[in-house]
Amino acid sequence: MQIWDDKKYLIEKTSDENENPSLKSELLTVNMGPQHPATHGVLRIEIKTDSEIVAKAIPHIGYLHRCMEKHSEKIDYRGVTPFVDRLDYLGAMNMELGYILTVEKMLGTEVPRRAQYIRVLVCELQRIASHLVAFGTYVLDLGAFTPFLYAFEEREKILKFFEEISGARLLYNYIWVGGVWNDITDEQCDFLRNFCEEFEKQLEMYNELVTGNKIFFERTAHVGVFSLQDCFDFGATGPVLRGSGYKWDLRKIHPYCIYNELEFDVPVGTGDHGSTIGDCYNRYQVRMKEMVESLKMVKQILQKLPVGPFMGKAPKVIKLPKGEIFLRTEASRGEIGFHLVSKGDKTPYRLKVKSPCFTHVSMLPHVAPGQMISDFIATVGSIDIVLGEVDR
Amino acid sequence: MLKEFVSELNNKIPNSKAEYIPMQEAGDDSILVQAVVISEVLGFFKNHPKFPFKVLQVISGVDYNEYFEICYMIATFDLHASHELIIKTRLTDRNEPTLNSVVDIYKSAEWQERECFDMLGIKFSNHPDLRRILCPDDWEGFPLRQDYMAAKFYNGMEINPDAKMNLEDREYIIKAVENKDELIKKALAKGL
Repeated sequence: MQIWDDKKYLIEKTSDENENPSLKSELLTVNMGPQHPATHGVLRIEIKTDSEIVAKAIPHIGYLHRCMEKHSEKIDYRGVTPFVDRLDYLGAMNMELGYILTVEKMLGTEVPRRAQYIRVLVCELQRIASHLVAFGTYVLDLGAFTPFLYAFEEREKILKFFEEISGARLLYNYIWVGGVWNDITDEQCDFLRNFCEEFEKQLEMYNELVTGNKIFFERTAHVGVFSLQDCFDFGATGPVLRGSGYKWDLRKIHPYCIYNELEFDVPVGTGDHGSTIGDCYNRYQVRMKEMVESLKMVKQILQKLPVGPFMGKAPKVIKLPKGEIFLRTEASRGEIGFHLVSKGDKTPYRLKVKSPCFTHVSMLPHVAPGQMISDFIATVGSIDIVLGEVDR
Repeated sequence: MLKEFVSELNNKIPNSKAEYIPMQEAGDDSILVQAVVISEVLGFFKNHPKFPFKVLQVISGVDYNEYFEICYMIATFDLHASHELIIKTRLTDRNEPTLNSVVDIYKSAEWQERECFDMLGIKFSNHPDLRRILCPDDWEGFPLRQDYMAAKFYNGMEINPDAKMNLEDREYIIKAVENKDELIKKALAKGL
């Protein structure tokens, strides 16, 4: 017999063993294996279950380990950009911006204004595209199929724009040291303005379809609660930290590029409709509201886009001065950090990537015990992991 | 501000022999402490009365050939006083480098130390579960060391056997790169 409370955690279990001593029960080990439609990649979670309740969850990673940190020691600084692209392949522009800002800070190059505006435009569009994937696949994990198709249709328009400017839909190599690789034309700006208008209406539809849905609320409220102290202990950042009620966004606190010239808000999990702050519903709300804020920023950039060169002066062969640097920027899933050690050569001596999803996956064993398996799947989907970043 | 931390550390934990390392030609400056007292130093920063460094973001290990250098990046994550620090230690023993684990101070160190062990072979004592995280469990060698050579065989399978590699293409490319200048002159003479 099991006694549950409103917040879905098991309080007490009186076992049948006391009533009938010949019965014996054991924990059953189940693999939420590397191939699974809901693990967003090749992640293996070994779950020890007690009937339907997770007693222990042990994540095993490393199935997508490509050792880009070792490869980057033999490749010159410009050539590392495609490796950095493939870290978070659903949010590649943000990764590139983080890496290129690290290199440029050591070099001290000046980037022209138009290039900075284009960089931020492209990064915010990438954030929208990445959150659309997170939204679509999260609802797909929980069993709904339609929002997935709606989200991917809107994402196609963003990817079409990216293909026109950089030549690729997903892995761009577009942001270069000193600026960007290609300019954007006025027709593309008009296309983006149309996209912004249509996307606002689509966002309202997503909210009607999913956010206000009672079944979705029941599945995600009070589930997988990360308290604020947990987030600090484990080092969570991005929508996970903001979903727990802490208004921390690197774009506001240590602004880089031209973020201090744009007006935007930082959404935080507020416990709407009686949900707990820090649960899956609040993280989902943070992502939906972030899409609205990113759209605001895109519109402001399209208004303010200055005229000028899109590429500044960069040396032909990049040789960074000696030293080391650690720089963080706000990517779609958290804060991506690059620790770059240079000895004055043409290649980095050591490039260490601080990946947000790596820390988020390490929080799963802390939150899992006591949840039902379907709640655990909702938790895994809400932290929005991409295995390319976790494994590098 | 770093220099004040260094003087405070030397007052409170004299064994740490904390040193301020300025930036070389560009980049960040950092604090170097002795490896023996690393748990006390990180505990001091976590419970600092004025700037409590709540979050350990990443543990990054670098292999300079004479010593290993382990960098701990900690941050306050305070909305009004946001500071970041790099704290380094050095290990000179290349056969059995050991360090105290800081899992009881920062929970995020659990996976970060596992990765440091996996890539560089640094053993953390008192770690609850020190095993490989990214490489397969039976991998031999520590990839990010400077003297790492990949093994020839893995589980009985030969890695990159000559019979399956395209050696002719490889030789052609090496020769072309060596004779690059001649090939370019020939192409220019033909008017390409």
